[in-house]
Amino acid sequence: MEKSPYTGVRRFVLINMILVPFIPFLLALGIGNHSFSRSIENSTIASMKRIAGDHRQMIESFLLERQNDLELIINTSSFTELVRPERLSSIFLQLQRITSAFVDLGIFDDTGVHVAYHGPYDLSGKLYRDTPWFQQTLKNGIYISDVFLGYRNIPHFIIAVAKKENERTWIIRATVDSQRFDNMVRQIRIGKTGEAYLLNRSGVLQTDRRSGGNLMESPREKIPLPRNGREIHTFIHREGREEPFLYATTWLKDQNWVLVIRQEKTDAFMALREARMSILFISLVGGGCIVAAAFTLTGAIVRKMEKTDAEKALLSQQLIGASRLAELGEMAAGFAHEINNPLQIISTELSLIRVLQSEMIESGQLTPGEPHEQVTDSIDQIKLQIDRCSRITASILKFGRQGESRSENLDLTVVIPEIIQMVQKKAEVHGVRMECRLPDTPVRVTADASRLQQVLLNLLNNALDAIIEQRGSTGGIIGLDLSTGENGTATIDVSDNGTGITPENMEKIFAPFFTTKPVGKGTGLGLSVCFGIVQQMGGKMEVTSTVGKGTTFSIVLPA
Amino acid sequence: MEKLKMMLVDDEERFLSTTQKLLERKDFDVQTASSGAEALEKLRTKPVHVVILDVKMPGMDGVSTLREIKRNFPMVEVIMLTGHATVESAIEGLKSGAVDYLMKPANLEDIVAKAMDAFNRRVDIEEKIRVARMRGLMKSPREMLKNA
Repeated sequence: MEKSPYTGVRRFVLINMILVPFIPFLLALGIGNHSFSRSIENSTIASMKRIAGDHRQMIESFLLERQNDLELIINTSSFTELVRPERLSSIFLQLQRITSAFVDLGIFDDTGVHVAYHGPYDLSGKLYRDTPWFQQTLKNGIYISDVFLGYRNIPHFIIAVAKKENERTWIIRATVDSQRFDNMVRQIRIGKTGEAYLLNRSGVLQTDRRSGGNLMESPREKIPLPRNGREIHTFIHREGREEPFLYATTWLKDQNWVLVIRQEKTDAFMALREARMSILFISLVGGGCIVAAAFTLTGAIVRKMEKTDAEKALLSQQLIGASRLAELGEMAAGFAHEINNPLQIISTELSLIRVLQSEMIESGQLTPGEPHEQVTDSIDQIKLQIDRCSRITASILKFGRQGESRSENLDLTVVIPEIIQMVQKKAEVHGVRMECRLPDTPVRVTADASRLQQVLLNLLNNALDAIIEQRGSTGGIIGLDLSTGENGTATIDVSDNGTGITPENMEKIFAPFFTTKPVGKGTGLGLSVCFGIVQQMGGKMEVTSTVGKGTTFSIVLPA
Repeated sequence: MEKLKMMLVDDEERFLSTTQKLLERKDFDVQTASSGAEALEKLRTKPVHVVILDVKMPGMDGVSTLREIKRNFPMVEVIMLTGHATVESAIEGLKSGAVDYLMKPANLEDIVAKAMDAFNRRVDIEEKIRVARMRGLMKSPREMLKNA
């Protein structure tokens, strides 16, 4: 295939066969990838938001319940009741039964004096008038602090509720176990790296964080706090060279704490990565298939083209060969004819020389002897060579010129038996049975009798050869069937049970000079001449054959 | 027996002269003509028994010359002389009344043999005609008597 004229075609077909399917293929994959990524991103972010919302709800309701606990106490008991230590103790125990979140319980009067206390530390009598939480509680009626260490030096936060009673305001304050609250906030788990924590307004951690960072520390990364409101904000933040995280942030109800839910981006978008891997896999496999198919098909197309072109070249060569043969025939015929005239003269001159020679001997002008015999020998030789030339021209003329055809109205039922008669003897010698099946009524066609004879003799002789090659001298059958078709056409089928023709030879049997016979045995012209004759008669010649079973030639002649 | 008179018609002068010489040595009376027209002209003045006629000649070709000869001189026997390529015209000649044909290059012996055959045929026919005429003559007195 190298350097063949098909290189260009090959490249063109190959490029097109790769590019044309590749463009829609890549487009489909690209669009699929894009919308799939979008959808996964959206659903990941949406689920992040939902988790943040649910978690916020849970934390808020925890805080609200604790607040409600305190409000229940403050509304069902009076100040005087609660300052009694045994009463306060019993209320605290009741409270502990509902939830173990509370660590202690204290009552403050409007001057900030810690009038009653129940808990592990003795804090009664301390003055809190100037502390910010006390001021805030008086002002707002409710206060939830940030986490702080306080006198106790352990992290905790407080919930305080104020009540106006008989023109006096008093406050109940409870400390919430920071550890328990911590666990509740952190209990959330998303994927491998998902976590939740709380920050206060200054960005200080209000809970421990699983990925590092303890309570009351400021985390290294500085994430933007959300705008005030209930909205949940999602964004991707990357601190330095660390893994980027997907964040969801939102304020809790009292706007003091920010709930942060975050997950490593790669973890959050794991599904996306998996999808992308499969898309990559599909595009590699699909692309490979396209390229492989393109190569295979291009190869097949180019091979087919090469085969067709080669056949075309062979056919045109054969056509040129045939027309050259015709020209050669014409030329040879003319040439032979022209040679015959001088040969005739030489021949008569020679006769004259002979006559003169014998006359000279008779008259004694020439004496018989050695030189005379040599002359006679020369003359004989000339005679011999003239005859040889004459044989050559005769054979040239026989081959070259077929003469003009003479169409006449023939009755095939009469002509065919005559032709069969000619090969009957040869067939009998080889033990071949001739089966001739003719209709009872005359079958008339317009054809040249001698040419039709030439065609049929050729076919019959071929059939005999095929039978002899296949079966020797036993069991050969040649069938000759005559039938009539539409528009008065006549069909002659010559069938034999000889060797048959291989499919590859089938295409070439009518080509001039094609023969399967050994060199010198066949000219390869017989069938091509027959084909030409039948075509000239306006008929058709077809062949069907099975190797080892036999061959049938069909000639269809017009009326 | 009457001496065989023949005429050679061919466009090759040398063939004519040499063949004439050879045939005359064999004691035949030979005339030559180098074209169909000349042959017809000569036949008018010197009748012959057998004409050896080349099929392929310039001017009037062999077959037309044959037809003319047969039309004007039906008793003259014609032998066609042909190159192979013109076998078909030889056949056409036979159909048009030629008695035989010869293939070029033809041996003198063949020419003589065929000419003799043709001549004998002619003699036969003439003999038959003569016999027929004699019978006619013998019959005629009786018929004359009858008619009288």
